[in-house]
Amino acid sequence: MSVSYESLHALKQSMESIGRDGARRFGSQETDRVHLGFNEVDQSLGGGLLRGASHDILPKSAQEGGTATGFALALVARLAFGVPWVWVRQDMAAREVGEPYGPGLAAFGLDPASLVLVTVPDAKEALRAAEESLRCQALGAVLFEPWGDPKQLDLTATRRLALAAEESGVTLITLRSGGHFPLGSCRTRWEIGAAISQSEGGEGLGFPAFSARLILNRQAGAGGPGGAWMMEWNHGKHLFQQANFGTGLSPSSHRPVAKATPTLPFRHAS
Amino acid sequence: MIAAMDQVASQAGLTIGMPLATAHALCPALDVVEHNPLADLTFLERLADWVERYTPCVGLVPSDGLALDITGAAHLLGGEENLLKDCLNRFSSQGFSVFGAIAGTAETARAMALFGKGGVLAPGSEAEAVAPLPLAALGIDDRLTLSLARLGLKSIGDIAQHPRPPFAARFGRDLLDRLDRVQGLVETTISPRRPLPVYITERRFAEPIGHEDDVHRTILTLAADLARLLERQGEGARRLELAFFRTDGTMRRLMVETARSLRDPKAMMRLFRERLDVLADPLDPGFGFDVIRLSASVTEPTPVHEADFSGQNDLSEDVAALVERLGARLNPSRVLRLQPQDTHVPERASRFLKAQEGNAALAADWEPWREPELPPARPIRLLDPPEPIEVIAEMPDGSPIRFRWRRVFHVVVKAEGPERIAPEWWRIVGETMPPTRDYFRVEDETGTRFWVFRAGLYLRECEPPVWFMHGLFG
Repeated sequence: MSVSYESLHALKQSMESIGRDGARRFGSQETDRVHLGFNEVDQSLGGGLLRGASHDILPKSAQEGGTATGFALALVARLAFGVPWVWVRQDMAAREVGEPYGPGLAAFGLDPASLVLVTVPDAKEALRAAEESLRCQALGAVLFEPWGDPKQLDLTATRRLALAAEESGVTLITLRSGGHFPLGSCRTRWEIGAAISQSEGGEGLGFPAFSARLILNRQAGAGGPGGAWMMEWNHGKHLFQQANFGTGLSPSSHRPVAKATPTLPFRHAS
Repeated sequence: MIAAMDQVASQAGLTIGMPLATAHALCPALDVVEHNPLADLTFLERLADWVERYTPCVGLVPSDGLALDITGAAHLLGGEENLLKDCLNRFSSQGFSVFGAIAGTAETARAMALFGKGGVLAPGSEAEAVAPLPLAALGIDDRLTLSLARLGLKSIGDIAQHPRPPFAARFGRDLLDRLDRVQGLVETTISPRRPLPVYITERRFAEPIGHEDDVHRTILTLAADLARLLERQGEGARRLELAFFRTDGTMRRLMVETARSLRDPKAMMRLFRERLDVLADPLDPGFGFDVIRLSASVTEPTPVHEADFSGQNDLSEDVAALVERLGARLNPSRVLRLQPQDTHVPERASRFLKAQEGNAALAADWEPWREPELPPARPIRLLDPPEPIEVIAEMPDGSPIRFRWRRVFHVVVKAEGPERIAPEWWRIVGETMPPTRDYFRVEDETGTRFWVFRAGLYLRECEPPVWFMHGLFG
């Protein structure tokens, strides 16, 4: 029995777009993706970040908690524009990295009035609150911030969250403040480090900049390549852009970073 | 001195107020327990909880009495006679010696219970019934009783038949006021221990129920009843209370607050389910509940067809329901929204409000903080309280060059500042002024961005300057 490659491919694609219960699955259509604005990144993601899926953000070091928060909030700003969104944070995270600050959120391009902050004492309650929130279709995104590497954040728990996200179409951003290693499953996983910001004349501080590494990419149709980019968040335009290195800082930042790290473990066995 | 005693003791010839030594002499086998008024009061409160099964309006009568307003409640137990009998039986079956009476005012009932024969007084017969009672039934002190006795006045009837002005002149108005109240001549009210609910629905069971399903079904029918009541009055509930009365005399109260006015029985049920789920000590029916009561203690007018709020700062219906569910599970104070404040002090510029507290307060205007062309001037996360850091600065009043925060050294590559923020002296009354702060936005060699400040102006306010880490930038 011979099946042509094309028909097999078409079959695969049509299966991809069917959910568990036969319903249409999010992510199978162009509108279910959110462009980040940075072309190279969008291409790697197969057209943008998937809505109704789960995305992990891991800070590169303990000192970069604020930076990782910045990247997570930029994604939220892309996902939940003018729509209410929920931030579930564990008490410990607020003690270590700080509470969300209204004026700062507004200056970052978000509308603080559309934020509902849910403060939870431990990881177990955090998971429950996140799942409950994910079931509310009116939300643009759920930012889920447990503290450290809690054992409750296992494969089963994260799959539950992913299913809830898939059913409602609400995107889950997991911000792993205080976390050291990847836990559970997700569609994409980012490792976010700080990057020197670029400003005119090189004197003062510039737009928020991130050195982002896509270490896991399981978005449908993306083919799964990872990558590393210097990304800058333009809160005025509400878009990511390539950090502009024309103004010249350290010579190392001239190199295209994406090619410098081809041997990364892009897929984790999770 | 003896404060209270049991029947056996009184038969042995002891009286209240007798010195302990005398009592021991009369009755050497006396068991003495120290008088603890606070414990008595707590216990009375618990009894008051328990008698709420008859009516939600229960007042304490120090130090050992309870007053119940049973207006409109008696028919539920088949009349006043039955209610009184039921109540007294329940108490005495648990070993209390208790006296009770039902009358037009709480004072008459008290006088009849303690000094008369108790029972139910027919309306209008109060003055006649209390006439033979001793003066102590008025609740006046012993000295006054004694001075009245010297005049030959021994019973309430003795005073009542005399003209009033001389009494008022000699003993004060208070005596006559008490007389009026005991005779049921003036309307008095019982001051309830807890705010009275606006709407009440309840179920009484001849056979106590204990099964979880039965309890849930009961809550749902009660919620449906309450919803009908609310709808008829065009109101919605903001706070709901569920009370479970156990046959053995304990009661349990559950309270939920809602984010919007609520009239949907299913939604009420969901909220209570959330609460029941997370109870640290689960609802224990013991030998079963015989009364379950659902009441709405805070309500607000609600149009029959809920308007579609399309205001930008309003949460949609779905989100409000989510806020409610999370609040019922965690605690309403754990589900928050941000509100801007008109102040320069950074930590006060953004305040957390309970998300349930409605949307009107959140006519939030964050516009002044938005500057699309410029890099953010404020951090996305704020440390509360600011953490002290060790700083090496260019000059004592200059920007930092190096600092150590949480045992890690950071070399500052870029810094912007100072942004001077003075304390708001007009808000500070009677305390020392906090020092002026100079804020700097700094970026270290890795590109991590921080918000730090120096407290105190150099050479003017404090020496040496103290530095703090206040926030993290994205």
